[in-house]
Amino acid sequence: MPLWPKLNSLWRSLMERQKVEDDLTNEIRSYCELLEQQKIREGVDPVTARREASIELGGAEKLKEEVRNVRRGAAFDVLGAELRQSLRGLRRNPSLAVLGTTMLSLGMGASIVVFSIFQSALLKPLPFRDSNRLLAIWETRLDRGIDQASFSEANFWDVRSYNHSFSEVGAYHYDEANLTGLGPAEKVVACEVSAGFLRTLGVSPILGRDFSYDDDRGGFRNPVVIIGNKFWKTRFGSDPNILGKALRLNDKAYVVIGVLPPGEPWIDDQLYMPFGYRPDADRDSWEFQVIGRLKPGTTQEAAQVDLAQIAGSLAQSFPEQDKGIGFFFTPSSTWVASQTTRRALWVLLGAVTFLLLIACLNIANLLLARGTARMREIAVRTALGASRARLIRFVMMESLLLNGFGAAAGLFVAYVGIGVIQSLEIRGIPRLADAGLNPWVLAFAVFIALVTGILSGLAPALQAPASGIAAALRDGDRQTSSRGQGRLRNILVTGEVALSFLLLVGGGLLIRSFKELMTVDRGFHTENRLVFTVNMPRSYWERVVGKQFLDRFFERLKANPQVLASGAVNQRPVEGGDPGMGIDTPQSSAKPPWAGWRVVTPGYFAAVGLPLVRGRLFGENDKPVWIPKDVPPYPRRVIISDRLAKQIFKNEDAIGKQVLLWKGQSSGLAEVVGIVGDSRERGLAENPTLTVYLPYGTNALTSEFVVHTRDNPLALVPTIRSLVGELDPNLPISNMRSFDQIVYRSVAPQRLNAVLLSIFGVLALLLATTGIYGVLSYSITRRTPEIGLRVALGATRSNILGMTIRQGLRPALIGALLGAIGAFWLSRYLATLLFGVKPFDALTYLAVAALLLATAALACYIPGRRAMQTDPATALRIE
Amino acid sequence: MPPSNTNLLQGTLDVLILKVLALQPMHGLGISNRIAQVTSNTFLVKPGSLFPALHRMEEAGWLTSSWGESENNRRAKFYRLTAVGRRQLKQETDLWARISAAMARALKAT
Repeated sequence: MPLWPKLNSLWRSLMERQKVEDDLTNEIRSYCELLEQQKIREGVDPVTARREASIELGGAEKLKEEVRNVRRGAAFDVLGAELRQSLRGLRRNPSLAVLGTTMLSLGMGASIVVFSIFQSALLKPLPFRDSNRLLAIWETRLDRGIDQASFSEANFWDVRSYNHSFSEVGAYHYDEANLTGLGPAEKVVACEVSAGFLRTLGVSPILGRDFSYDDDRGGFRNPVVIIGNKFWKTRFGSDPNILGKALRLNDKAYVVIGVLPPGEPWIDDQLYMPFGYRPDADRDSWEFQVIGRLKPGTTQEAAQVDLAQIAGSLAQSFPEQDKGIGFFFTPSSTWVASQTTRRALWVLLGAVTFLLLIACLNIANLLLARGTARMREIAVRTALGASRARLIRFVMMESLLLNGFGAAAGLFVAYVGIGVIQSLEIRGIPRLADAGLNPWVLAFAVFIALVTGILSGLAPALQAPASGIAAALRDGDRQTSSRGQGRLRNILVTGEVALSFLLLVGGGLLIRSFKELMTVDRGFHTENRLVFTVNMPRSYWERVVGKQFLDRFFERLKANPQVLASGAVNQRPVEGGDPGMGIDTPQSSAKPPWAGWRVVTPGYFAAVGLPLVRGRLFGENDKPVWIPKDVPPYPRRVIISDRLAKQIFKNEDAIGKQVLLWKGQSSGLAEVVGIVGDSRERGLAENPTLTVYLPYGTNALTSEFVVHTRDNPLALVPTIRSLVGELDPNLPISNMRSFDQIVYRSVAPQRLNAVLLSIFGVLALLLATTGIYGVLSYSITRRTPEIGLRVALGATRSNILGMTIRQGLRPALIGALLGAIGAFWLSRYLATLLFGVKPFDALTYLAVAALLLATAALACYIPGRRAMQTDPATALRIE
Repeated sequence: MPPSNTNLLQGTLDVLILKVLALQPMHGLGISNRIAQVTSNTFLVKPGSLFPALHRMEEAGWLTSSWGESENNRRAKFYRLTAVGRRQLKQETDLWARISAAMARALKAT
């Protein structure tokens, strides 16, 4: 039968019930009248004709009823009756309803929370046109082991001019600026972009204009600015007349020429300025993020070949800077979430699926037990002619109904859960603030309710009518629940235990790994340290003001009895960037190690607690390694980290030796004056960086300040604010945090994963335990007469207890074994998320096995004790 | 009372209705009269079986219905055959031809 009339009639019978009814009444009346007329025409007198017609009709109501029955809508009325019946059934058995709904709401709530985070982070598309054609382009120097680096300015211009694969290529240079003239001085993100950058993204201003190519011509920096939507909203109250107004950035006026549409957070709260083409652009320093939009019909592979040719000619033309250059793409889908974040979210989604499956198995178990208890009722129904299909429908309906309740309660759990997770302000999970109960997530909730409803109804539905009617009616519900049924329930419990094992191992591994992460030797110390940023504009670097500010600031701090040490660095530890250089002895011809470089004030090492291993720290006479042209050359001095010293100088003493800085680029010789301890600069999970510390000075300023205090570092905040304001009111302070907070924030994703997976594991354990307990205690009840007989024949109490516990533990043991195998196989996917722990960590596996079996034994003990106390006389009488 | 009434075989009514409607759209009483006429009053279809059958066939997509004027200007519900119904009629006709031939042969043989 065609679909359309079916749907149409379904719609009509559901929604236009009244109209259909009226139609039928009219039809019958018209038939009656026509019949009456026909009889009159045949010569019957009107009165008799009317009577005969209505007799022939046989009662309009009865007729209508019959017609209603054939209407397909009738099927729905019957379904409605079943629904009512199921509801009644659940109401009669509130413990099942409450227990089932609670278990499901936890499982579903967890699933919905994880899915909503997953959806907003990974599934929501980028707000850019044809984002599948958008790529990020990176430089590589594979011969030096650099597989993903930013662009140098000159290489960007060359790739932009010579490529044939991209319709547009844009570059982006992260920068910050001091905004003055709008209330107190403030640090804002002000990026420099090439004129085509926004066009490459596919974003056009909602007000004003995009940068024209003239803005980046001519070698000058045009003082114009485009502002992000959030910036416009929060600072200018969405002023429609913003165009043409000037912003003071780093003491220069910039004219606003455009406002961007709302979009991703990372393009929203920013300013954009054009950077111009310069024929003498820098080819040494890799600072530009480059993106490209593939021409329609061009594949990534073709673009790769195209850029490889450009790389070849660049390497020939500029052997000094571009030796071994290559290019590498990453798809725009990875811009939002890093590879690790993706992996972490996938693991969470997998874990939550397992949890949901366990809840599902548990419901199946409950329904099975209930089906057994109602064996007689079902047998009677079958005997009275209920079809098998109808019985299956009934059981399914019950399962779907339970799961529907579970999903509704789960939505509430998820609503609360998402709120809690968002309030933690976790860095590293992109778009977390956007996660919520949107239509996608609601559809997901409906979907899982249906799937789990069907899954958990499957076993009981198939089991229900299969057992023999006659036997059921004869023996009541005691003996007949077949062995097969018991076996089925044992299989379900085994599955639950196996899945719980998986989740517990996952949670256990992540917790162990988190503990390792928190106790790993960081090199630096975080307690009682305050970190904040004071950004100095470029102009401060050209005169002596900047250095003067730093010196005065630290001098004043030293006088404060609360301050134990203070210093500053150009990149914030853990949260900051990691500029690097090649560094080696001048003699070495091997590939130079790549080390991060940091400009530091002499007090920095004491402030972050890095110990001096050998040699000395910086003093008054150590000046920046960048020697200005108008100054007579002076000896350069650097301090290097312990690992770097060992790598470059092997067993020799590094102190007093020369090293070549920026080896392979703009090399310069320097003397090593000291060696300091290693530090996990780039985050706790990263290896300690090989680091070169460079002295600060007039043209080498530092922006990240670290102050080691006697007591609570945050108590010093007002002092610092007033001190900076007193020394230079134009300098903004930002990102004020304790060092502890910085580290805490940096491990937030790992902590969230460990916490969530452990919660899932514990929930799983609880569910599995309920399952074991339920199955065993039910089977004990059924076996009471048998146990009574055994006792009567001389079995001791401990015999009975041992027997029941063995019986109950068997599925748990098998489940644990299967779970261990599964965990061993699956934990490889966790490997990249682990720190300091192997995926197959014997301790975790053993602990999980012990925990699971102990809980299972406990769950067995309670029904076992009941069995033990069986009084043979009573037990046998039950028979 | 009608002179005689043979119990309709299962499915017979459907074919008869389809056959009658194949000629032209008709209302309920018309269908009933026409069936009586073509079967020489062998089958007299009462409203009690006619209406459920019509509605069932409409639900199945074989018929559609609409309100119209009867031959003596009264409102009546007219049924007409759909393409699906026409296909159904063809199938059922073939089936009936085979059954009746087989029955005839079987009954003659004894």
